[in-house]
Amino acid sequence: MDQFLQLLISGLAIGSVYAVIALSFEIAYEASGVVNFATGQLVTLGALIGASSMAYTKANVPVSYAGTLLAMAAVGVAFFLLVFQPLRSKPAVTIVIGTVAVGIAIQNSAQLVWGPLPAATASPVGAAVVQLGGVAIRAHALFVIAATMLLIGGVYLLLHHTPLGKQFRALAQDPDAARLMGIRVTRLHAVTWILVAALAGIAGLLLAPIWFIDVTMGDSLALKAFAAAIIGGFGSIPGAICGGILVGLAEILGASYISSAYKDALVFALMVGFLLVRPQGLFGERIGQRG
Amino acid sequence: MKHLLIVIAVLLCAAALPFALSPYSLRVMVLALISAIAVIGLCFAFGYAGLVDLGQAAFVGIGGYTAAILTTKLGFGFWQALPLALLAAGVFAVLIGAPMLRLRGHYLALATVGLNVTMEIITKNWEGLTGGEDGITSIPGVSIAGMPIATDRAYYFLALAFLVIAAGIGLALRASRFGRAMIAVRDDELAADACGVLVFRTKLTAFTLASVFGSLSGVLYAHYAGYISPGDFDSVRSITLLVMLIVGGEASILGAIGGAVLISFAPEWLRFLGTAYLTVFGIAIMLVLILAPEGAAGAARALRRRLRLA
Repeated sequence: MDQFLQLLISGLAIGSVYAVIALSFEIAYEASGVVNFATGQLVTLGALIGASSMAYTKANVPVSYAGTLLAMAAVGVAFFLLVFQPLRSKPAVTIVIGTVAVGIAIQNSAQLVWGPLPAATASPVGAAVVQLGGVAIRAHALFVIAATMLLIGGVYLLLHHTPLGKQFRALAQDPDAARLMGIRVTRLHAVTWILVAALAGIAGLLLAPIWFIDVTMGDSLALKAFAAAIIGGFGSIPGAICGGILVGLAEILGASYISSAYKDALVFALMVGFLLVRPQGLFGERIGQRG
Repeated sequence: MKHLLIVIAVLLCAAALPFALSPYSLRVMVLALISAIAVIGLCFAFGYAGLVDLGQAAFVGIGGYTAAILTTKLGFGFWQALPLALLAAGVFAVLIGAPMLRLRGHYLALATVGLNVTMEIITKNWEGLTGGEDGITSIPGVSIAGMPIATDRAYYFLALAFLVIAAGIGLALRASRFGRAMIAVRDDELAADACGVLVFRTKLTAFTLASVFGSLSGVLYAHYAGYISPGDFDSVRSITLLVMLIVGGEASILGAIGGAVLISFAPEWLRFLGTAYLTVFGIAIMLVLILAPEGAAGAARALRRRLRLA
């Protein structure tokens, strides 16, 4: 039982990270119609920038976290200008391959800058271990879960209780109508990509102390986020969050109780199962075949 | 008549090529021809039928592993293993395609990525069958009527023969009723359905054909390289195959071959970039997508139109 609780908490922690990645993926898809295959590389970039700034500022957490988010916002602007704008009117397939290509370029550039060796980063709450009854839990796991909940609350408030959020929802519903209503669609797209990159960056910061980060982890992360988005329901933000947490739990519990070698295959089996049986996912409103 | 002359000229050039290339370039060329067969397969699924298939390398892997296992563990020869490998890929494509092809657009793209990654995980972990990360070594070479195809030059002609057959099938399919059905499904599923095209069966057939061509490519690769491992068939490989198709022109058989040759040699030509190669590669793909979305074949068509106008 104690072991199960321990696994449950680590599953929730890693699931929270996947949920944040899925959120980034989902917002890109909802607001700009782009299935972002470079999501995983953006997360990797966030983790690497975070690790470097922690090293550079001698583990000054507020400064390095803020610096990382600023850097990721700049990445978002660059993504908007260099990737989204040239590709926005192209067919969906072209956009998919374009983001794959960008992902390749980001990953390789990151390898040139940071090198291929995996790096470990300290957690802002240190390596402390919390004892709850007989269960030993890493403080960082609790930090990740709490930070994710705060972040989700923040995104919810942003989308549902601010004028900007109203514009976002209008854009997601119908870009043309939004433009006719006087919303500056292009500028809003720029804000979207800043948000997308910043969320990916936060996921990277949360992930860095859990895993050894290395430049090639992007693809496997992105696939977890895709699985989360499909399980939760494409186009649904609560779905992305629940999907992410489910994927994290499936991965950790599956690795311990079924097979650690096949844990990723297990996540895919879950995803394919959903695609076949319930393609709209847990929360999807639409039929799962848009695009 | 004019087309026939062009085909004969191209074939003559292809026949002369191995005598002009350096030994190393010849090796790259053989690999390019082998890739081109998988890319032609992808041309059916993606170029003609419009299925976003990011998992072609999985079927190349099925071909490669089936042939490698049959020849190294069960003592089969190349010519006995080949039809079985094609059959295995075809059957698997029907079984997995039947549920998967109900998905459209990027849902299908994600599912095919999932398929490819699952294949990677299985080949890495089922050590008893696939040798795990170490892969399978000493896969025997090919011999025709007792004569071993031992040199790169001989293997070049073997691969070329298979490629010509594959391209011939591709061109014939394009001109057939089934070819028109695939294009109709790509352009407008609803309209195709209304015209009496069996949409789902057309998609499944295109996907299965693509997989069988992928498998053929995998068999030829395994016997040429003599060694395969999971890394040869990962999702990066799938993307490379798709890029070959797009660079050449997504719905063109000759474009598929040209793209395969171009992308196979690209690392050699860009060697001076060293480790920055993939950065440039990614940016170059972006530029192709933005500037020449129909690939080299499309760019050539546009150029020809312009020349005719001038």
